[in-house]
Amino acid sequence: MLNFTKFERINPEKRDVLKRLKDYDEVYKVFGKSRAKEQSDRCMQCGDPYCHTGCPLGNYIPAWLKQTATKDPDLAFALSNETSPFPEILGRICPQDVLCEGACSLNTGHGAISIGAVETHISEAAFERGLKPKFSSNKKDGKIAIIGSGPAGISAATFLLRKGYQVEMFERADRAGGLLMYGIPGFKLDKTTIERRINWLLEAGMKLHLNCEIGKDKSSEELENEFDGIFLGLGATAGRFAGIDGEKSSNVYLAIDFLTGIQKRNLGNDNVDFVDVKDKRVVVIGGGDTAMDCVRSSVREGAKSVKCLYRRNEANMPGSKKEVVNSKEEGVDFVFNVSPKSIKTDGNLALGVELLTTSMSEPDESGRQKVVINDGSEYLEEADVIIMALGFSPEAPAFLKSLNVKTNSWGGIETNASFKTSNAKIYAGGDCQRGAHLAVTAAADGRDAARAIIQTLA
Amino acid sequence: MGCNLDLLTSFKDNCGFGLVADMKNRQSHKNLEDAITSLERMMHRGAVAADGKTGDGSGLLLSIPEYFMRKVASKEGVDLPETYGIAMIFAKDLSDIDTFEEFCESNDLKVVLRRTVPVDTDALGAQALASLPNIIQVFVVPNTLMSSKRFDAMLYLTRKECEHKLIDKKDFYIPTFSSKVIAYKGLIMPTHIKHFYVDLRDEDFKISFSLFHQRFSTNTLPQWKLAQPFRAIAHNGEINSVEANRFNVEIKSEQLKSDIFSDEEIAKLLPILQVGSSDSASLDNMFEFMLANGVDFFKAARSLVPAPWQNAPHMDADLRAFYEYTATAMEAWDGPAAVSLTDGRHIGCLIDRNGLRPSKYVITKDDKLYITSEYGTLTLDEDNILERGRLQSGEMIALDLKHGKVLKEDDINDYLKSSQYYSKWLNEDMDYIQEYIEDSFLNTNDYIFDDLEKKQKYFNITYEAIDQMIEPMAKDGKEPVGSMGDDTPLACFSKVNRNFSDFFKQKFAQVTNPPIDPYREKVVMSLETGFGKIHNILTEQPEFAKRLKTTSPILMKEKFDILYSFGYNQSPRYDSYYKNETFSTTFTTDLKASLVKLSAKVVKAVKEDKVSIVILDDRDICESNKLIPMAMAIGYINHQLLKEEVRHSVSIVSVSGEVYDPHMAAVLIGFGATAIYPYMMYATTVALYKRKALSKYELQRVLKNTQKAVNAGLLKIMSKMGICTVASYRNSGLFDIIGLSDEITEDCFEGAYTDLAGLTYADIEARIEKSHINAYIDENCMFPLDLGGFYKYTNGGEYHDYGPATTKAMHNKSASKKEDISDFDSLKELVENRDKKFIRDFFEFNSDKGAIDLSAVESKEDIFKRFASAAMSCGSISPEAHEAVAEAMNTIGGASNSGEGGEDPKRFNTLKNSKIKQIASGRFGVTPGYLRSAEELQIKVAQGAKPGEGGQLPGHKVTPLIASLRHTVAGVTLISPPPHHDIYSIEDLAQLIFDLKQINPLAKITVKLVSSIGVGTIAAGVAKAYADKIIISGGDGGTGAAPLTSLKHAGNAWEMGLSEAHNALKANHLRESVHVQTDGGLKTGMDVVKAAMLGAESYAFGTAALTLLGCKILRICHTNKCSVGVATQDENLRDHFEGTVERLISYFTFIAEDVRNILASLGYSRIEEIVGRSDLLKVIDDDFAKKFDFQNILRRIDGIDTCQKDSNDPFDDNKYEKELLKKVHRTIENPNSPIKVNTEISNLNRSFGTLISGEIARFYGDSGLPDNSININLKGIAGQSFGAFLSKGMTLHLDGAANDYVGKGMNGGKIIINPKHQGQEFAGGGNTCLYGATGGKLYIRASVGERFAVRNSGCISVVEGTGDNPCEYMTGGIVVILGNTGINFGAGMTGGIAFVYDPEKGFVDKMNQELIEAVRIDTDDTERERLYLKRLLLDYLHETESEEADRILQNFRAEIRNFWMVKPKNMTVLPLDPDEGD
Repeated sequence: MLNFTKFERINPEKRDVLKRLKDYDEVYKVFGKSRAKEQSDRCMQCGDPYCHTGCPLGNYIPAWLKQTATKDPDLAFALSNETSPFPEILGRICPQDVLCEGACSLNTGHGAISIGAVETHISEAAFERGLKPKFSSNKKDGKIAIIGSGPAGISAATFLLRKGYQVEMFERADRAGGLLMYGIPGFKLDKTTIERRINWLLEAGMKLHLNCEIGKDKSSEELENEFDGIFLGLGATAGRFAGIDGEKSSNVYLAIDFLTGIQKRNLGNDNVDFVDVKDKRVVVIGGGDTAMDCVRSSVREGAKSVKCLYRRNEANMPGSKKEVVNSKEEGVDFVFNVSPKSIKTDGNLALGVELLTTSMSEPDESGRQKVVINDGSEYLEEADVIIMALGFSPEAPAFLKSLNVKTNSWGGIETNASFKTSNAKIYAGGDCQRGAHLAVTAAADGRDAARAIIQTLA
Repeated sequence: MGCNLDLLTSFKDNCGFGLVADMKNRQSHKNLEDAITSLERMMHRGAVAADGKTGDGSGLLLSIPEYFMRKVASKEGVDLPETYGIAMIFAKDLSDIDTFEEFCESNDLKVVLRRTVPVDTDALGAQALASLPNIIQVFVVPNTLMSSKRFDAMLYLTRKECEHKLIDKKDFYIPTFSSKVIAYKGLIMPTHIKHFYVDLRDEDFKISFSLFHQRFSTNTLPQWKLAQPFRAIAHNGEINSVEANRFNVEIKSEQLKSDIFSDEEIAKLLPILQVGSSDSASLDNMFEFMLANGVDFFKAARSLVPAPWQNAPHMDADLRAFYEYTATAMEAWDGPAAVSLTDGRHIGCLIDRNGLRPSKYVITKDDKLYITSEYGTLTLDEDNILERGRLQSGEMIALDLKHGKVLKEDDINDYLKSSQYYSKWLNEDMDYIQEYIEDSFLNTNDYIFDDLEKKQKYFNITYEAIDQMIEPMAKDGKEPVGSMGDDTPLACFSKVNRNFSDFFKQKFAQVTNPPIDPYREKVVMSLETGFGKIHNILTEQPEFAKRLKTTSPILMKEKFDILYSFGYNQSPRYDSYYKNETFSTTFTTDLKASLVKLSAKVVKAVKEDKVSIVILDDRDICESNKLIPMAMAIGYINHQLLKEEVRHSVSIVSVSGEVYDPHMAAVLIGFGATAIYPYMMYATTVALYKRKALSKYELQRVLKNTQKAVNAGLLKIMSKMGICTVASYRNSGLFDIIGLSDEITEDCFEGAYTDLAGLTYADIEARIEKSHINAYIDENCMFPLDLGGFYKYTNGGEYHDYGPATTKAMHNKSASKKEDISDFDSLKELVENRDKKFIRDFFEFNSDKGAIDLSAVESKEDIFKRFASAAMSCGSISPEAHEAVAEAMNTIGGASNSGEGGEDPKRFNTLKNSKIKQIASGRFGVTPGYLRSAEELQIKVAQGAKPGEGGQLPGHKVTPLIASLRHTVAGVTLISPPPHHDIYSIEDLAQLIFDLKQINPLAKITVKLVSSIGVGTIAAGVAKAYADKIIISGGDGGTGAAPLTSLKHAGNAWEMGLSEAHNALKANHLRESVHVQTDGGLKTGMDVVKAAMLGAESYAFGTAALTLLGCKILRICHTNKCSVGVATQDENLRDHFEGTVERLISYFTFIAEDVRNILASLGYSRIEEIVGRSDLLKVIDDDFAKKFDFQNILRRIDGIDTCQKDSNDPFDDNKYEKELLKKVHRTIENPNSPIKVNTEISNLNRSFGTLISGEIARFYGDSGLPDNSININLKGIAGQSFGAFLSKGMTLHLDGAANDYVGKGMNGGKIIINPKHQGQEFAGGGNTCLYGATGGKLYIRASVGERFAVRNSGCISVVEGTGDNPCEYMTGGIVVILGNTGINFGAGMTGGIAFVYDPEKGFVDKMNQELIEAVRIDTDDTERERLYLKRLLLDYLHETESEEADRILQNFRAEIRNFWMVKPKNMTVLPLDPDEGD
């Protein structure tokens, strides 16, 4: 360990841009054994492991880095999977630069440990060796329903099954995985990785009900009567519009619809909602990870041009820095410091976005810079397809009311600190409870809610 | 128990001592005069009260002055018969004398005279006068016909009976009751003893021998009865293992059979040891008891204070057999000890195995033997001297008065070994387990468990425990090293699963006794363990040799099986003597009742089934069974067996999963386990390496390593307390038990120190329940164990006060604007809301005043003066960090601390100069210039992170800069010894303080201690040794590297030690003389105010300061890879240092302002007003807080709370050298006018040359004056520390001899000592000469004592013989020895060169060959070395006219073949500059 003075930080290798644009396969290659060992070996095994505290799941990062470095991969696998429901997935999709790697003690001039890449390697290599996650063989009486099969739901199910509880999962879509399945493009996350996890849960005894919407396909009364506990992992699935004129035009889309369409097509579903951007001028409004997903998908779909419009400067982008880099590599144009004023339309068809340029104020006390609109700076950005990637809100479906689960002003489910809702039997976590956030926080909520459920059942 | 009030007035004592004897047993008054003169001239070794009269006590144990006694008797009309005895009695209440006389009568003794001893009370100080008892002599004669032997026995029996009867009369004491000796002693200064005891002035008072003693007690409440000598001994030193010895005496008392006394009489004699007496008095009781029962004088002496024999290959086999036989029932009374002893016929002196106390003798041609702590206490005609020598480690010398013969070590050994057929007895009856084993650690069957992971979880074997402790032990065979301090709560406050052993804090030696170095002084250490019964100690019989032996108390399956087979009746090897029974320590409910039940079962088996090996086994742990903590089970059963008087026939063997580090093992052994089979440590190791597919033999190696590491750790823990053998450690209970209820400690751990009485059996059971559920009910699916969090932070693990959140809050927002960060609100909030983690969190303010306006409070600048940085050496931290701290502290008016590694002279007199300069055991960089650059000189006696231990800076971290600061060469490993080799006891500390006050009279002398129960006693002693300031450091202090268990398990919270020290100083009326400082995890104003209220006047910050400079608490300091450039010497990493002075200043401003706000809210305007005001604190109203008893910490006794003196001036004003300084001052003013002075010197003139050297350094730093500027020719015997810290330009010629510490810390100049009697047979200097010297030359044409040139790093020296451990830890310089050396030569020697003349070819065996090699220099390629040696010898001859040097040089071509050159093994370039030879 402590070999940070000997080796530099190395990111996982990316596939050649020209090749990767031709498909939806993952861009990053998984670390090989020796690279993983070398990079793990840089770790200082800090007394205050900031990576571990910077991780919403509190992953035992230094522990599995050490085991990777000292060639005990099975132990690394066990350690990595103890706290996380799907480390190989989060290793791929987490914005490590603002979480563990951002917090890494070496991130001040030495280069953080490539934590995400090692994390992915640990589980992928273990799976190759035939290792699998373990679940309790010691079956317990409690029966828990999980509503929603996204990261929060999968996480809750995983930790409940590990303790031997019976789990049934309800998903209104045709496939399990929620955002992981339909929200995140395949070039970031291969869909088989999700199916693999779902299958293990099924093997462990979970019952999965697809195309099953609560309140429609199964009544809330039935649900409440059949189960000892219920976990709501509904996600935040309602895309947001900017609230400007013309945004209801037929060629203005929500990011989630755009991405889901592509994913369904890729999975071979025949679907009607697919948005074809081939040879079109695409403009994506937003600067987060979803916006990056949209621009990069558009490039792959053969758009004539792809532009990302963001109201702040590059330094203030909320998304993962590496995604911006990847997008640029793949030919995406970024227009910073522009704020959409309206959509210029021709009947039901949008022609482009009317933009105002902005500038950044001096940092305030908290260090945050505000956006200042520059008066009279209006100009038009022409486009054939406009995609709104402005975040998500919870949907707050009607069955919540019949279950006496309270929601707040923005539709989020209210819970106490241990994720219990106003209905003592029902717990909620992830985006539906905290608002749109990261997959890793949803996974942490699902896990912690499961622990709370177990405590009441035990 | 619980309430430690008595600790405030308890004491430890050290001293000066000796004896005078006429070898032909001729009685004379001169003998008495000589004894008194000797005593007078060692007065500086005792302590003196302010009145100049009250000392801590002194006295004489004399042969009965026949003539005088008959004279006074006949004056009273009594004609004494041939046989009579005299009792010397101290009694306030005269009716006690009647009681005494009644006992005499009942034992057939006839009282013929009661004499009031005439005294002159003018000789007494006020304190002594107030407590003056009646001093009465009672003369008795046999009432019936009895042999003189029987008569002596009756005297003894009578005294014991009377003592038992009058046990509650604190003022009744019988100094002696004997037909052979009588004591004249008391609370008198040696100078006044004759004045006080009128008898002693009578010319007819003639004696043939005298033991004498002057006491230095740590407290100021001396008592008449505490004065020494006792009835048979006078002891200088401290018995470190006394707790274990006392316990073991009780065990031995269970079945005594004596030739002298009947069983009924024996019963009347018990207990052997007087309750509540000092360590020395206990030793005296035991020795006297053995003598009274007819045990041979020499055997009794050597069984109590044996020479090291277990690891002494050079020892005669038969002698070793004597010791091995004796050890079956007797363990060493271990610790620094020079003991003079007598039984009336023999008189002798012996010293401990480490040679830690000085004992010097002179034999004269007119048949006198003088033994004293120092040479020169009597002015003797040099021509009359036959021999001037000293006792070497573990040696004894004696006089047989009957035959008028001196018995030296060899004579005594010859007698001992041939007195019985010990070898034969051992051969017949002693079995060694090892001999029945093919090989160990090959059979791993015992280490495979189906439910291993559940067991691991139960035993708290977390991922971290494996990763941080077990795996490193398995890999390296030693305990792992960590860094930074311990910032976790005490086990009793913890909310997570903690090991039971966490309640126990290891005790460690500081000041009154030294820790020892278990690595470099291995020869004295031993873990040898025996199984079997303790037999009658009063006789010797062949069958008493029966023992099963093993080399370590840590067993593995193979050894355990053999041990078991001896005691298992189905085994062919079965021997009922070793009959064993296994008892499971499991329970289901009710911990206390289960404990009682288990113990009853054990006692029954021992009593009824004659079980002698009790095996306590916890392997039955399962889903339904929980465990009684092993330490609790052992402690409880141990005491019950003792109560039932069957402890002597039992060995307790613990099969325990609770042991997987050395601390855990030490706890069990300390409370009575004979051996431990730590199966979970092995099981965990096997499981760990199973995945790595090791071969059987590789697995054997790692398993062996774990045991080796625990063995080494045990030695380390023992040596921390100065204990050498595990037999003397067993039953010692040398722990501070923190947070367990009085009931538990009384039941199980009686005798150990306790504080914060709290958790009950029920609380402990609840904790056990919780970990049981965690292990057996809650399962983790993927990674089955818990992660841990004890050593390093983990979410959900143990709380860390320097956890990521705190560290971030201290780093404070964006690093980009680090210059003006002043917002520490989030830090304050975190600290204030951490909720009952540390003792101070349990207190809230309870002011007796209303708030005042902030403007009325003293300024922040006033408060800054009370701030210091904790000692951090440039070496442990980078120069950048070191300088930033200094600059910040100097800017605000606080003080920075150099740490122990020297400081760049360029920084002196600048803003980067550290006002506090530290003097640590390595003495690195301690030069006159360094000492003179300070305003405060801090003697680091102990360090919070690893009290009682030394340290090591590996060669790869010794950069050229570090090397130059430490006066060595880059790449040389630097070892700091555990003790200061010039502080083995309190009078030694007084001497070092005296030295420092000479070299820098303007500096305050500070002594840094670590919090521990009993530190109050030490603090009082330190104050009496004239320190100006005492630091009580918390056990949580940081470090650049320390063994993990030391970091975690030694040293208490500062709150405890501070309060105890403050109150003890008050109780002894010493608080007004010393300033008190504390440190340990202080972070905010609240911490500072609470520290003030508990008694601290100033406050030091270590880790906090580093954190402000960018430290992220990575805990990797020991790796030299600190990524933020704070704790590294790596140049690339140092570039990453981003700390700034401004940032530190803003942090200290925050603290000071915080303090001001709190003061205002409490209604106080100055810190001074709240120091010691513990009444301004109260325990918070909280259920958890109610569990604990905080009275010891919140105690406030009456008296002055703050220091009232500018400086604590020594009794000795050193007028002698002050006068000389005036004479030579013109040379200092005008360096080109050399001066020569001729004068006389005596042993009363200590630290000679130091005052002048200090004056030189004041103006010229280490550059000093031109060579030979100041020449001083002296005649006589010089006092201690002759030429200490000598500056360049000084030359001291001594025509005579010198005492201990010659040339210590000398930086330049020359010391030449030419005694009249030259050569290796005569002593020219004492112990520990040249300690920490950095330059100059020392020539002595005679021999010197132990530890010559220890830590020498630059001096060139020639002597003609040395004691043991020469050249220890040497890092530079040249040493030539033209005669014999003692053993353990060059232990830890990493630099420098020694030439040893060895015509008898015995030298190589005396080397400690770990680091050094001896090479011949008579070959072609050693021409340079030969030349160097020759030139050096010529110079030596020129200066000393040494006959030996002359002879060698005359025949140099031949003699060169008798020289060895000793050098560190890895040294290739020899630092020999032939010019230095001239």
